[in-house]
Amino acid sequence: MKKSLTIGSPRSYAIKKFLLVMKLSFLLVLLGSLQVSATVKGQTDITLKLDNTAISKVFTNIEKQGVYRFLYNSRLKDIQEQVSIDVSNTGIKEVLNKIFEGKDLTYKLLENNLIVVLSRLPALQDIQVTGKITGASGEILSGVSVTLKGTSRGTTTDNNGSFTLTVPENGTLVVSYIGYVDQEIPVNSQSVLNIKMEQSSKALDQVVVVGYGSQRKIDVTGATATVKGSELVKQPVLTATQAMQGKVAGVQITSSGQPGSQPSVRIRGTGSLIGGAEPLYVVDGIITSDITNINTADIVNVDILKDASSTAIYGARGSNGVILISTKQGARGKMQISYSGNVGIQSATHLVKMANAKQYADYVSAATFGITTVPVTGVSTNWYDQILRNAVEQDHSITVSGASDNTKYLLSVGYTNDQGIVINNDFKRLTVRTNDEFKLANNLRLGIMASYTNGVNQNVNLGTAYNDAYRAAPIIPGRVNGKYGNTSLYQNVGNPILDINNNNYHATDNRLQGNAFLEYKPVGWLTLRSSIGADWDNVVDRGYIYQFFADTATFITPGGNQSNPNSTLSFTTANSLHWVWDNTITFNKRFGDHNFTLLVGTTSEQISSTSSYASVQGVPADPNLWYLHNGNRALPFTNDGFGTNQTRNSYIGRLNYSLLDRYLLTANFRADASSNFPAKNRWGYFPSVGVGWVITKEDFMQSQKIFDLLKLRGSWGQAGNDFTQAGAAGYTLTLLQNLPYYFGGGSSSGSAISQIIDKDLKWETTTEYDFALEFSTLSSRLTGELSYYSKIVKNALINVLVPSTLGSFNPSGGQGYVLTNAASVQNRGVEISLNWHDKIKKDFSYSIGGNITFNQNQVVGLNGGQPYIDGPIGANQPYVTKTNNGQPIGSFYVQKVIGVFQSLAEVDAYTDKNGRILQSGAQPGDFKYEYNANGQLDSVYAGSYQPKAYYGANIALNYKSFDLSIGGYGTMGGKIYNGKKAFRQSLLDNIEASTATNQWTNANHSQTEPRANGGNLPASTYYIESGSYFRINNINIGYTLPEAILQKTRVITRLRVYVAAQNPFTFTKYSGFTPELQPPTPTSASLTNAPPSGSSPTSAGIELNAYPTVRTISLGVNIGF
Amino acid sequence: MNKKIIACCSLVGILLSLSCQKSFLNVQTTTPTPSNDPSVANDLVTGAYSSLIFIDAGGGWNYDTHGISFIAATNIMSDDADKGSFALDQPGINDLDNFTETSGNPFVAALWNGYYAGIARTNNALNALAVAAIDSATVRRLNAEMRFIRGYYYFNLVRFFGGVPIVLYVPSGPRAANTDTTLVTRPSAADVYSKVIIPDLQFAMDNLPLKGQAIKGRITKGAAETLLAKVNMYLKNWQQVFDLTKDVINSGQYSLVSDYSTIWKEVGDNNAESIFEIQTGQFNNSDAGIPLYSECQGPRNNGATWSNPSFPYAPTGDLGWGFCTPSLSLINAYEANDPRKIATIIFVNHDSSTTLWDGFVIPPGSGVQSPYYNYKAYHSEKLESFFNNRDRQIKNVHILRYAEVLLMNAEAATQLGGDAMTPLSQVRARVGLTTASATQMDVWNERRIELAMEHDRFFDIVRQGRAAQVMQAAGKNFKAGINELLPIPGTQIALSGGRLVQNPGY
Repeated sequence: MKKSLTIGSPRSYAIKKFLLVMKLSFLLVLLGSLQVSATVKGQTDITLKLDNTAISKVFTNIEKQGVYRFLYNSRLKDIQEQVSIDVSNTGIKEVLNKIFEGKDLTYKLLENNLIVVLSRLPALQDIQVTGKITGASGEILSGVSVTLKGTSRGTTTDNNGSFTLTVPENGTLVVSYIGYVDQEIPVNSQSVLNIKMEQSSKALDQVVVVGYGSQRKIDVTGATATVKGSELVKQPVLTATQAMQGKVAGVQITSSGQPGSQPSVRIRGTGSLIGGAEPLYVVDGIITSDITNINTADIVNVDILKDASSTAIYGARGSNGVILISTKQGARGKMQISYSGNVGIQSATHLVKMANAKQYADYVSAATFGITTVPVTGVSTNWYDQILRNAVEQDHSITVSGASDNTKYLLSVGYTNDQGIVINNDFKRLTVRTNDEFKLANNLRLGIMASYTNGVNQNVNLGTAYNDAYRAAPIIPGRVNGKYGNTSLYQNVGNPILDINNNNYHATDNRLQGNAFLEYKPVGWLTLRSSIGADWDNVVDRGYIYQFFADTATFITPGGNQSNPNSTLSFTTANSLHWVWDNTITFNKRFGDHNFTLLVGTTSEQISSTSSYASVQGVPADPNLWYLHNGNRALPFTNDGFGTNQTRNSYIGRLNYSLLDRYLLTANFRADASSNFPAKNRWGYFPSVGVGWVITKEDFMQSQKIFDLLKLRGSWGQAGNDFTQAGAAGYTLTLLQNLPYYFGGGSSSGSAISQIIDKDLKWETTTEYDFALEFSTLSSRLTGELSYYSKIVKNALINVLVPSTLGSFNPSGGQGYVLTNAASVQNRGVEISLNWHDKIKKDFSYSIGGNITFNQNQVVGLNGGQPYIDGPIGANQPYVTKTNNGQPIGSFYVQKVIGVFQSLAEVDAYTDKNGRILQSGAQPGDFKYEYNANGQLDSVYAGSYQPKAYYGANIALNYKSFDLSIGGYGTMGGKIYNGKKAFRQSLLDNIEASTATNQWTNANHSQTEPRANGGNLPASTYYIESGSYFRINNINIGYTLPEAILQKTRVITRLRVYVAAQNPFTFTKYSGFTPELQPPTPTSASLTNAPPSGSSPTSAGIELNAYPTVRTISLGVNIGF
Repeated sequence: MNKKIIACCSLVGILLSLSCQKSFLNVQTTTPTPSNDPSVANDLVTGAYSSLIFIDAGGGWNYDTHGISFIAATNIMSDDADKGSFALDQPGINDLDNFTETSGNPFVAALWNGYYAGIARTNNALNALAVAAIDSATVRRLNAEMRFIRGYYYFNLVRFFGGVPIVLYVPSGPRAANTDTTLVTRPSAADVYSKVIIPDLQFAMDNLPLKGQAIKGRITKGAAETLLAKVNMYLKNWQQVFDLTKDVINSGQYSLVSDYSTIWKEVGDNNAESIFEIQTGQFNNSDAGIPLYSECQGPRNNGATWSNPSFPYAPTGDLGWGFCTPSLSLINAYEANDPRKIATIIFVNHDSSTTLWDGFVIPPGSGVQSPYYNYKAYHSEKLESFFNNRDRQIKNVHILRYAEVLLMNAEAATQLGGDAMTPLSQVRARVGLTTASATQMDVWNERRIELAMEHDRFFDIVRQGRAAQVMQAAGKNFKAGINELLPIPGTQIALSGGRLVQNPGY
C-alpha cells in the first residue's frame, strides 16, 4: 500500500486546500472513524506529558497545541495502544518516533503540518478495477459514488454508469447512491466489477420530486408526501387523486362516482373561497389543472407539496398546494411488456328510501287534513330503481418499455370504459403515452413525453333527473309498454326517465399533452435545462333533444307540460392551448461539510381558449342526420362563442444548503406576473424559508439505538393564488351584448354593462408556517410524522353577493355578485401519520398505517365588514349559509328548531316577555322555533361542512404469494344541509320513507319530526345533519404466481390476479345519498338561485342531488412479460 | 470547459430576457369607450330599452320587469284575477294571491332585482351619454328617454315597495354601499317621488318630441306627460293631473281606436291610442317578447288531448300555463252588453268546444284547468308573427294608452269639480255604452273595466284608499296597513347588513 493519500496534482494552494478539505470530509462521512482537525500553519516544537494514554489521544493532545493535524484510520493496528510520553520543546519528528517506537506505525509529514499516520506493514498490490453500475432492472446509474472502504479514495460513475478506480487487490468497494441501498463489494483481485443496486425501501432514502427538481426525502425541509403509483393502481377508479383518498395526512379528497369527474382536493383546509381552492397539478413538470386524462397505470409516483415553503416555488399557483405526478420511464435491460386490467360491476349504494304509494297517499292526505286525496292507481314506483342500474366498468393497459445505452423508451396504451350507474350514461377513454429519452452526447439529454387522450362521454341530464326522481310521486308508473307515466300532469314534475331519455348528450374530448426538455451538464455541478410543455384540448359537445308532445304517443295519459315541440341539436366546440416554457440553471456543489444547490430560472406560460356554440331545431331523430345543416331554418337557431386568454411570467430561485447533512436550509423566491390583474397589481413576490435538523446524525445520537431517524423541521412561506378560472379577468368590464329592442318596426341590438367591477383586484396571498417531527424507530418498523401548521389566506378572492341596488347582474340568474378580495381565512391544524411494517418469519409481512388531520377553519377578517350569505335552496330558503368572522367558511345560518308543538296549549304558552304568542298560527305537530329575548325569530350558526378532523387508515398483509390490503377514510365534525329535503316545493312532492314513518301525529308525539306538511318550510336546524362518516373504500386481495412456476413459462415474468371491492362499506348517520359531497355542490331547479359558476366553499355541504356512492366489485390481473 | 459554461450561461441569459416582454401580460381586451365610439352610448340606450322586455334570459324568475312576477304582483294580487294553473303550482304566486307572502318570496325578489338592474342600465347609459361623441340634441333626447325609463321604474318600485333606495349613479365597486349608505337605505316614498320620479319625468317631458315626430317605439313627450299625470294622480295633485292630461288630449297626437278588441292584438300595435307600449318582435331568427308573458297566461289543459292540426306548433297541446285567470269579481263587474267583456276574457264552454278568434279550438271545459283566461295576453301562433319560441311570444304590452288619459282627466275633474262627463263618455261611447253619470265611483269602475288585466287595478284600489275593503269583499285575506306594500326581499335586507328596514307586518 502506498503510504500517501492521493491528493491529485494541485495547481494552486487554494485549490489544493479545497480539494484536501473535500477529501477529508469524504473520509469523515464515509468512514466515520477518521478524526480530523485542520487549523494552523508553521513549524513548532512540542511540549507534552502524558501517562498511559492511547496513541490516538496523544494525537488529540498534540492537535490541541494548535499546530499539527493528524490523519489516520482509527482501525489501524496499535493506534489505541497506550504510551507514556514526557517531552518539552521537542521537534515533532522526534516526538512521533518516540511514540511509534515498537509499534507497527509510521508517519508522513505533509506540507501544511498535516501528519498522516500509516501502518508499517507491507503493502499489497494495487489493481485497476472497472465496472458498470445499474439498477435492479438494468437501468444505468450515473453519479454513483464508489469508494475504497476505509479510505477516501473514490470516484463516481459517468453517464454510462461506468467507473474506473485503482484499489488494493484485497480491498472492498463501498457503493452508494441516493435512493439505493449501500453495498460493500470485495474486490478479490477481479478487474471488472458490474454491480446491480437495489432501491432502498426506506422512505427516508427516497428521492422526492419537488418543484423544478428532486431532493432526498431526508433533506426536505417542507411538508411533502409521496404516494406510489403501485398503490394507486390497486383501485378501480378513473382518476389518480380518487385512489389517494385517505392516504396522506392533511390532504382531504372528495369524489363522486360520476364517470369522468375529477375529485376535489383540499390541502390543509379550505383557504381560497372561489373556484381556485383546488391544488395545482404538475405532470412531469408541466402545470395543468385537470388530470382526468392521465392513465393511473402510467404513474410512478405522486408527490404532494403541502406547505407554503414547498409550494412557494410555484408562487402564484401554489397557495392551495401542489400535486406532482411523475410518469413511468423505460428502464435499462431487456424490453419489458406488461399488461394490467380489471373488469368490475358497479352499483349504487346508500340510496335514500322514498315513501311508497300508500305512505305517500297517507302523508298528502294528512298534510291537508283530508282535503287532498291521492288517487289509488295500484302502482308504487321506486323512481331511483327506474333510473339507476348495475353497470360494468373495465380498464386495460399495456406498456412496452426498455432502454439501451443512449435511448430510453416507453409506450403505453390504456382503455377505460365506465358505464355509470345511471341509465344511458357511458364513459370511454383511450390513452396513449410515450415517454422517451435520448442521450445526444455525454452531457446532453433530450427527453420527450407525450400523451394523447380520447374521451367519449355519453352524459345524462342528471341534475334534473335526480331532482325529479326525488320529487316524483310513487303513484305514477315510470314507463309501461314504452309510454311514460305523466308526472308532470299530476304534479308538475318531469318524468325522470323521460328527462334522461329525451336528451342525448355526447362529449368527445381529444387532448394532447406533451413536454420536451433539453438538459445540458457541461460540468458535474452545473445543469442547464430548458423544457417546453404544451397541452392542447379539443372538446366537442353534441346535444340532441328529441321532439315529443304531451300526447298519447309519449305518455300513458296525455297532458301536462313536459314536452318538446321541436327537436334541438346543439354543438359546442372548445379549443384550448396551454403552453409552459421553463428555463432553469442548477448549481450543485459541495464545499467540505457544506452542500449547496442553487436553482434559478424563468418560466412563462399562456392559456388561451376559444369556444363556439351553435344550435338548430327540427333536425330529424336519426343520429346519422345530427349535423347542423339539417336544421329547419324557419325555427330559431343560435350561434355564439367565447374566448379567453391568460398569461403569466415568472422568475424562480431556490437555495438548498446542508451542513454536515444534518442542518438543512431551503430558501425559495418566486416573482410572478399574471395577466389576471390590473397592471398595478400584477406582480406578486413569494418568499419562503425552511430549516431542518436531522437529530440522528448528531454525534450524541450515535450511541442510541432507539431512533433510526429523528428529524425536526420548520418552515415559513408565502404563496399566491391568481384565480385561475377560465376567462375570469375580473377587472375588466365586459358588455352584455345582443339585447333586442324595436324602433321603427325593426329590431336593434343593444348592450349593457351588467356588472360592477373591482378595479383594485389583487393577489390573494397565503402565509403559512409549520413545524414537524419525523421519526423512524424500532429498526425502521415504525415511522411517523407529526406536524402543526397555521396558514392565513389574506385578500381571499370571492364572488361577493352585493345588494341588487348596486346594479350588478348575474346573467345565470341569482343574486348579482362581484369578484373582489374579500376576506382572510385561517386554517390551523395538526397532522399525525404513523406507519408500522414488520415481517413475521419468512413468509408473512404486514403493515398498518394511519393518518389524521385536525383542522380548524375560520374566517378571521372580512374586508368591508359584511358577512357573505350563500346557499340558496328553492323559494323559501334564499340562503342557508353565512360566512362571517370567527366562523368556518360557509357556516349554516338558520332558524333553530327547539321542538315540536304537542298541543294548542303549548302554542299558546309560547310567548314573549309581553305575553304575545310567538307562533300564533302554529298547529300541534309544527316546529317550535327559537326566538330571541325581544320576541324576534332568531337564526343561529349551526356548524359547517368543514370537518374538524379527517383521517385515513390502511392495512396490508402479505403471506407467501397472497396479499391483502384494506383502505379507508373518513371525516368528523362536519355538517350537511339536507338540501333536497328542504327543496320540497309542493304538497305533491314525494317524501322520504322515514319522514312518512316518523311524522308527528296524534298517536306519535315526535319531538323531532313535524306533522305532515306541504313543504316550503323555512331554513332551519331540522335540515342539518352530521356529516361524519367512515368509508372502507378499498379491499384488495391478490395472488402472485410464485417465481418457480413463472420460470417454467419462460415468457411471463410476473403475474398477479386480484379481486377488489371499491366502497364496500360506509358508516354514517347521514340520511342522504352520500356524506361525501364533492364541491361545487350541484344545485338545480328553476327557482333555485344557482350560485355563480365554479361554486364556492361558501355554499359547500348542501346536498341537493349528489351522485350516489358507487360500489364496485372487480376482478383484475397484472402480467409482465 | 470554461468556454462551454460561458456559452451556456449566455444562452440561458438570452432565454431569460426573452420571457419578460411586458406586452406579453397585456392580454385583456378593454371595453370600448363611449368617447371613442358613439355606438357604445347608443347601444347602452337600446340595452336599457331592452330591460323593459326582459333582464335575464331565464324568463323573469330572478330579474323581472314585466314578466310573471310583474303579472303576479299586479293582476293576480288584485281582485281582477286569480293565480290559476292548478292549486299547487308555484306556491310563491299562491302566497301573493292570498297575501301570505313572506320576505323570502322569490317573485318579489325578482321584481326588486329586475327593476334595479333596469335602473342600472339607465344609469350606465346616462354615464356613457355624458361623454359620447354625439350631437347635443340627440344626447338630450336620449338622456330624456333614459330618464323616462328610470322614472317609470322607480314609479313601479315605489308602488310595490314604498320608499326604496335612490340610486342615480353607477356605484364604483363592490364596497360602494359601505361608503354611500344611501344605496341600501330606504328614504320615504315621498322622497322617491320628489327626488327621482318627478324630476326625471319632467326632464323627459321637456326634452322629448311629440309622437308624430318620433320614431315608432321611442319614448315620446306624450308618454312622459301622461306618466307624470299618473304620478300626480297617485300624489293627489289633481290640478296637475288635469292640466297634464288636458295637454295630452289637446296635443292632437292620440285618439281612441274604434274596435276595443284589436288593441291587444298584433294589428293594434302602436295604434292611435298607444302612448307607451313595450315593443316586442323577432330577433336573431326567434321571438323576443317578454319571457313567458303570453305563455304563462295561456289556457292550460287538464289531461285532455287538444286537437288543432292546423296549428303546427302544438297540434295536440295546450297554449300555456294557465296563470292569471280572470276572477268572478271582474266578470260580474261588467255591464250587460259591454263588448269589452269578451275582448278581455276567454270564456271556456263547459259542454262544447270554444273557438278563439284565430280558429284555435279549446276542448270542452272538463279538459281545461280554468273556465276563464286572459284574452289580452293571448297570442295567436297562427295568425300573428311567431317564430316557434313560445317562451318569448311576440306581444306588445300597453303600459299607457289614450283611454287612460281620458279617465285620469275625468277623475281629476271629479276632484276639481270640472267636466268629467266628456272624457268618461268618450271612453264608453267607443264600446257603445251610454253614460248616465260621472261620479268618482263611475270613473273608478270605468277604469277597472277599461283597463282590466292591464296591471293597474291593484295599485288603483290602494291609491284610492279602499284596498282592504275591496279585497275583503272579493274574499281575499287582505290585511289593511300591511298588504298595500310587498315585503322587502329578505336577501336584500341581509345583504344591506340590516340597513334596509322591512315594511310593517312582514
